[in-house]
Amino acid sequence: MACHLRLILLVLSIPFVAALWPIPRGLSNGTTPLKLSSSFDIQASFKNVPSDLQDAIQRTKSHLKTDTFERLVVGRGSVDAQAIAHANSLKTLVLSLNHGAAVRPIAVEVNTVAIDARDESYSLSIPSHSAQATLVANSTLGLFRGLTTFDTMWYHNGGDKYILNAPVTITDSPAFPYRGFSFDTARNFYPVSDIKRTLDAMSWVKLSVMYWHIADSQSFPLQVKAFPELAAKGAYSNDEFYSESDVKDINQYANERGIDIVMELDSPGHTTAIGMAHPEHVACINKSPWTKYANEPPAGQLRIAVNATVEFSKTLFQSVIDLLTGTMMSSGGDEVNLPCWNEDEETIQALAQSNTTIGQALSSFVQEVQGVMAKNGKMPFIKSDMVLTHNVPVINGTGIVVWQSYADAVKVAQRGLRFIHQPSDYFYLDCGAGDWTGNNILGNSWCDPFKTWQRAYSFDPYANLTADQYSLVLGGQMPIWSEQSSLENLDPIVWPRLAAGAEVFWTGATLPDGEPRLGVNATNGVNAFARINELRFRLVDRGVKAIALQPKWCALRPGLCDADS
Amino acid sequence: MARTSAFLLLSALLSVFAPVDALWPQPRDITTGSSALKLSGGFDITIAGSVHNAPLDLHQAVERANAQLRSDKLERLVVGRGDADKGALSKAKTLSKLTLSLEKGATAHTITSEAQKPIEARDEAYVLDVPADGSGATLTANSTLGLFRGLVTFGQLWYQSGSTTYSIEAPIHIKDSPAYPYRGYMLDTARNYFPVSDIKRAIDAMSWVKINQFHWHIVDSQSFPLEVPGFLELSQKGAYASSMVYTAKDVQDVVSYAGARGIDVLVEIDTPGHTSVISKSHPEHIACAEATPWATFANEPPAGQLRLTSNETTQFTADLLVAVSKLFPSTMFSTGGDEINANCYDQDPETQKALNATGQTFLQALDSFTQVSHAALKKAGKTPVVWEEMVLSFNVTLAPETITLVWISSADVQAVAQKGFKLIHAASDYFYLDCGGGGWVGANPDGNSWCDPFKTWQKSYSFDPVANLTADQAKLVLGGQHLLWTEQSSPSNLDPISWPRAASSAELFWTGPGQNISTVLPRLHDLSFRLQQRGIHTIPLQPLWCALRPGACDLTA
Repeated sequence: MACHLRLILLVLSIPFVAALWPIPRGLSNGTTPLKLSSSFDIQASFKNVPSDLQDAIQRTKSHLKTDTFERLVVGRGSVDAQAIAHANSLKTLVLSLNHGAAVRPIAVEVNTVAIDARDESYSLSIPSHSAQATLVANSTLGLFRGLTTFDTMWYHNGGDKYILNAPVTITDSPAFPYRGFSFDTARNFYPVSDIKRTLDAMSWVKLSVMYWHIADSQSFPLQVKAFPELAAKGAYSNDEFYSESDVKDINQYANERGIDIVMELDSPGHTTAIGMAHPEHVACINKSPWTKYANEPPAGQLRIAVNATVEFSKTLFQSVIDLLTGTMMSSGGDEVNLPCWNEDEETIQALAQSNTTIGQALSSFVQEVQGVMAKNGKMPFIKSDMVLTHNVPVINGTGIVVWQSYADAVKVAQRGLRFIHQPSDYFYLDCGAGDWTGNNILGNSWCDPFKTWQRAYSFDPYANLTADQYSLVLGGQMPIWSEQSSLENLDPIVWPRLAAGAEVFWTGATLPDGEPRLGVNATNGVNAFARINELRFRLVDRGVKAIALQPKWCALRPGLCDADS
Repeated sequence: MARTSAFLLLSALLSVFAPVDALWPQPRDITTGSSALKLSGGFDITIAGSVHNAPLDLHQAVERANAQLRSDKLERLVVGRGDADKGALSKAKTLSKLTLSLEKGATAHTITSEAQKPIEARDEAYVLDVPADGSGATLTANSTLGLFRGLVTFGQLWYQSGSTTYSIEAPIHIKDSPAYPYRGYMLDTARNYFPVSDIKRAIDAMSWVKINQFHWHIVDSQSFPLEVPGFLELSQKGAYASSMVYTAKDVQDVVSYAGARGIDVLVEIDTPGHTSVISKSHPEHIACAEATPWATFANEPPAGQLRLTSNETTQFTADLLVAVSKLFPSTMFSTGGDEINANCYDQDPETQKALNATGQTFLQALDSFTQVSHAALKKAGKTPVVWEEMVLSFNVTLAPETITLVWISSADVQAVAQKGFKLIHAASDYFYLDCGGGGWVGANPDGNSWCDPFKTWQKSYSFDPVANLTADQAKLVLGGQHLLWTEQSSPSNLDPISWPRAASSAELFWTGPGQNISTVLPRLHDLSFRLQQRGIHTIPLQPLWCALRPGACDLTA
């Protein structure tokens, strides 16, 4: 009897199904231990299961065999041995689609449906005393999201996979459709395998977009059919570029994991590398002192006032569009530098000929490239300074990437524009590593300090917005700018911090118990901190080198390392 | 005429490259030419017959150096990489051997035994000659340790272009020795655990920048991963898991791996603070064990300190330190002594009872406690090393040979020197690798790193080891080190958080201060890329665009 009592106390001390990240929006659970049967299987109840859903099922089954993550508690898995010794065994998880739902590949749900029209909802029911669990959704994409929930809830001990909280009932769907990661592969190059590992981890926390900042002033690692010379001359080397087949491969890999690719061709700034092959299109190329002509070296911007350059840019956009599926694309547009154009002979001449100002030329350039995107059915994205600093008109339906500071979101909302949050003061993963320019001995990171997961998690997507502006918020994304990152530190600089953004935009304002996500105890040890520690250990178990958030002593004792404990 | 102009062009080309050599740390005396020189296919490093009984670890070091020349394959950091030098190499002379010998009268002891000598008795000097005409290169030293340092230098001279391994700076003449005898790297393996393989990789990287001291902060309040003969219960109950323990065999493995690479291991058992985890097996020895709120009892959770007023605890501590000291052949041993929390003892009834009984103050008790453990270590042949508070805050009676680690601030260096103690620079404001990672305690969404901001390589490199010291006081400076506290580090990020930044102090204390910081970045890039070739995941310091164009990304470029 004493033994029984201890067991109950143990189980009661676990708040939610602790392992889940992002926490589902609707969740109830019991206190009964449950194991996976050694013959556990996942089946679909419908015909013509798309191959990418079959693959996803296989991956989940494989995780359930290979994961060795033990519950974070003093004593780890062995602590639960007794509790699960006589637990019921779950034999199957059955996937089904709601009546009338189309049976289409996950990839098609992702790359043909507009971001705000995707159905990612699902219901997962795991009974405590029958042999079968069920997962139901309106789309294969919803089933995929449900599968990632299912495959990150089990603990490992010896030969067992188990939970302590059956029955579990989850009714889930994202608060925001756009949940992204912005990836700069231009300052330093990342091999395809690193991008795929990142996509895997993104899918486990239900991110829906990889915003690919593929090229920049330092390198142009993208092979495009119309201009193969851009990569040939602008990539760091013959080994450091993405071929057309690489891009298609990554795109497909992402789509099958519920992730859409938004390719950004940052323009007209951040384009020096184009000048390696086409110097005629780039103003102030490598001009010194770079501090006068660009935010970072090397200087160089597209000659937006020159017709030939505008035509070149349109062809470039079209060529990139031809390479990718998906419903969105970005023309970037951050940090354009006026002295660069003001001192450029070709630009001065072209402006004089057409009797326009540089501001007019910028507006017209943006309209042209946005036109290419719109013509191809892509929702265009653009950086917030284009709108807020340069007052460039954008076409209807454009999404704004708000990056300089959170405060800019309100200004964008006031203009009635839809946007995603990417504020440097909350979400930049690269901040806090010191300045990287040479001969700047005491230079600090421009966006110091380091953004902890707690800082990112404390972000409120609706802060300072009026209720009728809420619908303008598509979601948000955390970016890694790669001046000081490469494949050598990709995992630890990104993970598990990126997961903070994933929960901000999936779970939204309210936790499944009805408490506000940003309550006073939001990041304390027994709440989100306990869950993100679990996620971190799970990522490491699956080969993603996530950074330690605390001494392991703390991870094993939720709450004891809080500031006030 | 055509030939002449081609030759002129080649010389011009080479002279442009000359300032960018690949050595880190920069030798203290070096002259280089501008001739291309390549290694022959059968290139070999041999030990001269005059070196009698060359020890095994020297033979192994030679083997490793030979293998690295073939596996490094580092292409020069220039636009076009290795291909850029193809033309220059077509007529290059070929080097077929490097011969190692000892100065007349020197005896060939093992590198390990030379590395484990007292810190100021090690001879690391060497002379390296690489002629441009293809005749054999020579490396001479007074000790096998010096030969090892010279081998590391030799291994950094070469680039790869296609199948050719070459230098473009022959002839090369180097006469080198360190400015400071102590050049360290500290790793905390208690906040989070690191497998032996990670420690060995760190030791490899250390050896490649001539660091000679691995300061192993092996246990702390969070975990006790060291298996100590006679005190097995400490790791059995205090390690994070049975798989997260350094056995006596592991320690021997690490110590000998380091020794063979010219590195001595300074172990630290931090006392009397930072010892909470001892309470898992010996609650009788720990005051305020896991007391809450932790913030009033310790600098970080969990709270707990040795009961320094207890005779039993004092004896236990001395016995433990001696038992640990037997695992480590170094002549130094650190007893720590940082961040002692007075409130922990104020609130501990046992401690208060003992103080009342003896009429001692806390400081007097700390003094007696320390004297007992230091006396035991002295008997075991060890020189004690302590954190600065022992000298500056607690005024503990310390033997004059005691070495002080200055960590709180570089501003404290002068005060330690004024007390006449030898010191090691470990200042948090210059050398802490963990700073700038944000707060890590829970429920603290805007918490920042206590030692923010991040210490860039440039910040560390700008450190002046003798700032505010008189000439006599300057002699007390043994050297310095980078340090990694691991609240937010683990095997996942050990390499990128440590390298190449830790190389910054390696050069500062080998080459000595006063180098022109504005010209060293290309060399550090070179080192970083070479470390990557050797399997160390160094963080990029800049976009590759900048690394390929020295100076182009300077703030003033």
